[in-house]
Amino acid sequence: MIKIPARVLIVDDEKDFVEMFSLRLQAQGEKVSTAHSGKEALAVLGQTTIDVVILDIRMPGMDGIDTLKQIKTLFPIVEVILLTGHGSTETAVEGMKLGAFDYLMKPADFEDIKIKLENARKRKDEQEERIRQAEVRLLLRRSGDY
Amino acid sequence: MNKLYDNKVRLLLVDDEEGFRTAIARRLGKRGFVPVQASTGEECLEILGRDPVDVVVLDVKMPGISGIDTLKIIKQEYNKIQVILLTGNVAVSDGIEGIKSGAFDYLTKPIEIDHLVNKIKQAFEMIRLEEEKQKELEYREKLEKKMIDTERLASIGTMSTGIAHEINNPLAIINESAGFMKYILSTPEMLKCNRRGALMMGIEKIENSIKRARKITHQLLGHVKKPELQFSEVNLKALLYETFGLLKREIKDKQININWEIDPKKNIIWSDPYQLRQVLMNLLSNAVHAVSENGSITLSTREIDEDIILEIKDNGIGIPKENLSKIFDPFFTTKSFDEGTGLGLFVVHKIISNLNGKIDVASTVGEGTRFYIRLPKTDELNR
Repeated sequence: MIKIPARVLIVDDEKDFVEMFSLRLQAQGEKVSTAHSGKEALAVLGQTTIDVVILDIRMPGMDGIDTLKQIKTLFPIVEVILLTGHGSTETAVEGMKLGAFDYLMKPADFEDIKIKLENARKRKDEQEERIRQAEVRLLLRRSGDY
Repeated sequence: MNKLYDNKVRLLLVDDEEGFRTAIARRLGKRGFVPVQASTGEECLEILGRDPVDVVVLDVKMPGISGIDTLKIIKQEYNKIQVILLTGNVAVSDGIEGIKSGAFDYLTKPIEIDHLVNKIKQAFEMIRLEEEKQKELEYREKLEKKMIDTERLASIGTMSTGIAHEINNPLAIINESAGFMKYILSTPEMLKCNRRGALMMGIEKIENSIKRARKITHQLLGHVKKPELQFSEVNLKALLYETFGLLKREIKDKQININWEIDPKKNIIWSDPYQLRQVLMNLLSNAVHAVSENGSITLSTREIDEDIILEIKDNGIGIPKENLSKIFDPFFTTKSFDEGTGLGLFVVHKIISNLNGKIDVASTVGEGTRFYIRLPKTDELNR
């Protein structure tokens, strides 16, 4: 089976982490964009099509949860996986209630990341497919009206 | 008068004049006090070294060690004993010196027997009061120590979670870097590199160390599969069975006897089964490690007020006294690093506190260890 690359955006203020993590995901065949703050992340999302955002919860400035809220408002279909180095599982759970797909504890096991990333992308694909079908039905009904 | 009370006083009468001594002893005996007798200070000390005594009635003027010197030795060696001095009627200064040296009181010869009896009763009453005071003091000290322990654990906990937070970030970078290098080494062009094996080995060592460090930080952060408390009805016996299932092999290998003393009526509580399983897992695996072959582990439950007490007792190696106060501290361990992180009991303590419970331990080296867990039957907050 040929792997379809996921379009991933990594958001973390730890530049070294972003760099190594994106190299690794690229090596897996994913298409990776990076951002070092919530603001930057929203800018990237405005310009590039992204399937899954991997988002650090604790960042200076706009923190992960605020960024998540913004993403879910502006780009509701994009899936978000929260990343926490701070054991703030409560925050992670709060994030999931706000629409995040799942969370990972730093340092995360790469296999876990792969599985969660794949599932997140699948959910986004399915959602997009449902939207497409709904659109088709809408068009058919409209054309039926004429 | 109150015979029972009188009989309880263990009395020693010391006087070198035998006639006087036996007369006093006889008269005391009639009033319910039967004294042990000694004729010299030396003999008095010898008796005290052998038998427990509450009150000593001591003549001051004796050949050999004087009454005052005997008194000083008694006060130094047996601080609970009360001493009543008997002095000659001209030697008031002896009595005063005696009181300065710690005597309860002094009586001047010739003595009034009822007076002596009263003094003995007062001295004995004094001992009782002192004992009560001592008990109260010990209780307060114990309580204070417990409070300090709890505070100390809480502050160590806060600090160590802080450290764990900060370590996880660099650890994640190391993890991704090692993973990336491993990936590079598995690409076809690198297969030709003749030192590839050595590099791979180095990376594996890094990865194993990351896992070890991650285990520590995640445990410190109390990272368990169910992060929030989820209360439901918990059958302690069933949960214990389930946990033993995970330790089946070790139990079989060591042929450990498990004694169930669980009252089926005192066995159901409202708590978080996932967290409790973690607690039981840590405690039971400790018990399994502690016992030798054919050892035994006893599990019992009982009820106190609105709480259930679960007791896990083993007849294993036990915990040395000096370690008992430290076993709930993070990173305290007597095992090597690959056997334990020193966080098991720290996590247990944290979980039990979160569940509004209490945990305590008693242990004797060579005899075994007992853990008491006290948990509320119902969750008061949810009622």
